[in-house]
Amino acid sequence: MDSLINLVGHFHPLLVHLPIGILLFAILIHWLSKKEKYTSFEKIVPFTYLIGALSAILTCISGLALSTSGEYDEKILFYHQWLGILVAVLSIAGVFFTKKKKEKFLQWVSISLLIVIILTGHFGGTLTHGAGYLTKGGIASKIVKVKPSITNAQEAVLYTDIIQPIVEEKCYGCHSQIKQKGKLRLDGKEWILKGGEDGIIIHNGNALKSELYKRIILDPLDEKHMPPKGKPQITEKERVLLEWWINSGGYFDKKVKELAQPATLIPILASLQNNSTKPSIMEDVPTKEIKIANQNSLNGLTKLGVTILNVAANSNYLTANFFNVIKTNDTIDNLLKTVSANIVWLKMPGMNFTSSLANSISFCDSLTKLSIEHSSITDIQLNNFQKLIRLHYLNLVGTKITLKGLIQLKGLHNINELYIGQTSITNKDSLIIQKTFPKAKINFGNYHTENLPSDTVILKEPLKK
Amino acid sequence: MSKENKKIIKEATIATTEQITRSYFFKECFSGMGAMALGSMLQGCDWLGNKDSFNNFTNTNPLMARAPHFIGKAKSVIYLHMAGAPSQLELFDFKPDLLKLDGQDCPQSLLEGKKFAFIRGVPKMLGPQAVFKQRGQSGAWISDNLPHLATVADEISFLKAVQTDQFNHGPAQLLMHTGSPRLGRPSIGSWVTYGLGSENSNLPGFVVLTSGGNNPDAGKSVWGNGFLPSVYQGVQCRNEGDPVLFLKDPAGIDRDMRKASIDAINEANQLTYNEFKDPEIVARMAQYEMAFKMQISVPDVMNINDEPAYIHEMYGTQPGKASFANNVLLARKLVEKGVRFVQLFDWGWDSHGTDLSNAVDIGLINKCRSVDKPITALLLDLKQRGLLDETLVVWGGEFGRTPMQENRDGKTLPFKGRDHHTEAFTTWMAGGGIKQGSSFGETDEIGYSAISGKVTAYDMQATILNQLGFDHEKLTYNSQGRPFRLTDVQGRVINEIIA
Repeated sequence: MDSLINLVGHFHPLLVHLPIGILLFAILIHWLSKKEKYTSFEKIVPFTYLIGALSAILTCISGLALSTSGEYDEKILFYHQWLGILVAVLSIAGVFFTKKKKEKFLQWVSISLLIVIILTGHFGGTLTHGAGYLTKGGIASKIVKVKPSITNAQEAVLYTDIIQPIVEEKCYGCHSQIKQKGKLRLDGKEWILKGGEDGIIIHNGNALKSELYKRIILDPLDEKHMPPKGKPQITEKERVLLEWWINSGGYFDKKVKELAQPATLIPILASLQNNSTKPSIMEDVPTKEIKIANQNSLNGLTKLGVTILNVAANSNYLTANFFNVIKTNDTIDNLLKTVSANIVWLKMPGMNFTSSLANSISFCDSLTKLSIEHSSITDIQLNNFQKLIRLHYLNLVGTKITLKGLIQLKGLHNINELYIGQTSITNKDSLIIQKTFPKAKINFGNYHTENLPSDTVILKEPLKK
Repeated sequence: MSKENKKIIKEATIATTEQITRSYFFKECFSGMGAMALGSMLQGCDWLGNKDSFNNFTNTNPLMARAPHFIGKAKSVIYLHMAGAPSQLELFDFKPDLLKLDGQDCPQSLLEGKKFAFIRGVPKMLGPQAVFKQRGQSGAWISDNLPHLATVADEISFLKAVQTDQFNHGPAQLLMHTGSPRLGRPSIGSWVTYGLGSENSNLPGFVVLTSGGNNPDAGKSVWGNGFLPSVYQGVQCRNEGDPVLFLKDPAGIDRDMRKASIDAINEANQLTYNEFKDPEIVARMAQYEMAFKMQISVPDVMNINDEPAYIHEMYGTQPGKASFANNVLLARKLVEKGVRFVQLFDWGWDSHGTDLSNAVDIGLINKCRSVDKPITALLLDLKQRGLLDETLVVWGGEFGRTPMQENRDGKTLPFKGRDHHTEAFTTWMAGGGIKQGSSFGETDEIGYSAISGKVTAYDMQATILNQLGFDHEKLTYNSQGRPFRLTDVQGRVINEIIA
C-alpha cells in the first residue's frame, strides 16, 4: 500500500501542470468570450472548467500522497495543501456557475481562482526548489554570503568553523528545515545525531562505518552517492576534513588543537586560514579599484607596436609589453605617462633605454612587475625607479647594473623577487642585497646542469646492477 | 494560344508582379523583420545560458592580444608530450611491492573484465626496472633514469593518479589535447590562442615542435583548430635545419614590393569576406600578414645558433641536428618572446618490449637520456630568467603502462616491456603558479589502479586554463548550434597542486 501511495505521489510534479494550464486557459477564454468578436468561445467555457476541475482533483490526490513522504517543510506544505484544495473547490464552483449561467459569481470565482493558482504554484515551487528560488541567479545571488574567516585554524572549533560550513554549502539544500530528503536533517547537532530514515548516520570514531561519509566516497555514478549527481560535490580537501572529524570522535564543541592531527592534515588546515591559498596573485595587482585607462592612449600605443591590454576582463589594470619595440620615442614615452596609473606589469626585454623612458616609467606608481632584462638600463636611469614602491618583481638579468646602482632602490621594501643573473653582481654580495631588500628571493642565476658520462651514451643492453 | 500556355503565362505574370508589387515587398519585409526581431529577442533571453560565454573571434584582427577572464598566474605554457606513453613505473611511481611479485603470474582479479591493447591470457608481473631514490626536500621518488630532473624535484608538482579511458595512442592523445578521443575538436593550444590571442603580434600564438623521428600517432589533429577558425591552429615548425623555410624574399623582390603584393591579395580577400562572411577568409588574411611579419621576427627568435655556449652546454643542444633538446631551447626562446603556447611532442616512448629500442630497461633509458637534461635545463633556465613563475611547464604522456610484462599474442617477448595502461599514470606540472615540490594522488601497492586523488585529462586541461586566467566552463565557442568548451561537461581545477 505504501509503495502505491508513493507511486501516486510521484505523479504530482507531473500532474500539477495540468490544472495550472487548463484553468488559466479557462479563465482566459471566459474573459475573452465577453468580447463580441469571441462570443463563440462561450460554448467551450464550461467544458474547460470541467477538465480543469478534474485535473485539479487528481492533482490534489497525488499531492496528498506525496506529502506523506514527510520530506517537506510543514508550514509551507500546509499552505500549499489547502490552497491547492481551494483551487479544486473553486474550479468545481466555476463549472457549476457556468452551467447555471451565474455570470456575476463566475467573475469572482475566476479572479480568485487566478490568485489562488499563482499562490499555490509559488508555495509548491518553494517546496521543491527551496526558499528564494525565484530570485536565485538574480538579486539574491548578488548578496554574497561572507564565509567566516579563520585566522588561526588551531583555535577554530572544528564543527562550527570548519565542518558546518561544508555541510551547509553541500547538504542543506535537501537536508535542512526546508526539505528533509530521506527524513534527514543536517542543520543542527540534534538532527545530525538523530539520523535519517535508515538510522543513525555517524559512528563516532569510524568514518568508514558512518553513512554520512560512506555516501560521499561511493562511486559518483552510484544512486546512493551524495551529494547527488549534478549537485556541487564534496572536494578532496572537504572529504579529508569530514573523515578526520568523524574519526576523531565527531565532536561538536572541540577545538582543532584539542584533537590529534595526522600529517596529511597540516597543509589542509593551513590552507583554511584567511585565503592563505592565493596571496601571491593578490600582490600582482592592487586591490584598489581604478578608473579605466584613456582609450586614445591605448590605441596610440598599440599602433606604435606596444601590446597593452587589461590584465583580466574584470580589471582596469594594464599589462604592457614591448617585444616589438626595441627603442621608444617621445610619443611613446608621453603616451605611457598618460596611462601610467593603470600599468601594473611592464615587460621591456632588450630595450634601448633612454632617460626619458626611465622617467616615464617612474610615473607608473601601481607597477608591481618590471622586466627589463637584457636592456641597456644604466645605474643612473635605474635611480628613477625609487618611486615605484609597489614593485615586487624586478628582473635585471643581463644588464649593466652594478651593486651600487641596485642599492639605490633600497626604499622598495616590497620587492620579493629579484633577478640579477648575468650582471656584475654576484652572490658574494648576497648579504648586503638581502639586507637592502629583506623580503626578496634573490636569484643570481648561473645555473647549470651537470655533465654526466651517461648523458651521451646510448645503451645497447640493460645496465648491470 | 492553347489553354495550357495561357495558364503558364498567367502564372509567370503573377510571379513577376509578386516580386515588384508593393504588397509583396511589405509582406517580405514583415517576415524578415519578424525573424530579425525574434533573433535579437532570443539573444536577450539568454536561452542557452550563455551570457558569460566568451566569443572572442573578431574578424578584423583574430590574433589580437586579449585579456583572460581573471588574473592568471601563467602567461604561457610549454607542454612536453612524450608520445607513446612513458612508463610511470620506471620513472616516478615507485612500487617496491611490485618487485617482490616480479615474474609471478598476474592475479586473475586484475584481469577480469579488463581489456588490454596487446596483453592476452595471463601475463607475468614485471618489477620496476630502475633504481629509485627520494629527491630534494619534497622527497619525491624519481628513478635513476632521470638523474638531472632529480636535482630539480622541488620545483615540480606530480600528479600520480591520472586516468584515461582510451588505450590506443591516437584517441588517448586526442583526449589529452582536445578533450575528446574523436577527431574534430580544437586542441588546448588553439583554445588558448582563441582566448588570449598572440601577445607578440609578430609571432603566432601557438607553436608546435616535434622530435623523435615521427609525428604523434594522432597526427596533426592534436594541434588542430577543430571547429575554431583555422587562424588558431598550431603552427608546426620543421624539426631539422631552419625551423621555417623561405624567409628570404626571392631575388628582385624587395620588402616594399612584398608588402604591396600582400596588401593587394588581402584587399581582394577582404572583398570576398565582405560578401560571404566566411571566417576562414579572415584566417587566410591573418596568415598572409603573419607570414610577412615572421620574415623579420623568425630569423632572430628561431635561431638557436647564436645562444651562448653555456646555454648549449646546459641544454645539451647541437644546432642543426633534429633533437628534443633543440626544441626545448627553442620553446624557451619563443615564450620569452611572448608565444602563449608551445607544444612539444617527442615520439618513441611506447615501451612494449618488442625490440631493443622500446625495452623498458634499454630503449626507455635512452629516451630518458635524450630528454632529461633539456627538461631540467628548461626549468633552471626559466627560473634564472625570472620566467618560471609565469610559464607553466606540463609533462606527460597519453596513458600509463601496465605493472604486467607485455605478452603480445600470448608469447614471451624478446625484451622487457609493458602494455598500455589507462587506470593510473603520472604527469607533472611546474612553474606558472603551481606548487613547488608537491605530489597529488596515490596508486595501489603495485601501481595498477589509482586509489586517491584521481584526475583526468579534463582536470589537467581545466587546471592549465585556470592558471592562464580562464574559467574552463566559460571559455566557449558556438558551433553546430551550441556552445562547446575544451573540457566538454567535465573538468575540475586541481586546486591541490596550485600554489
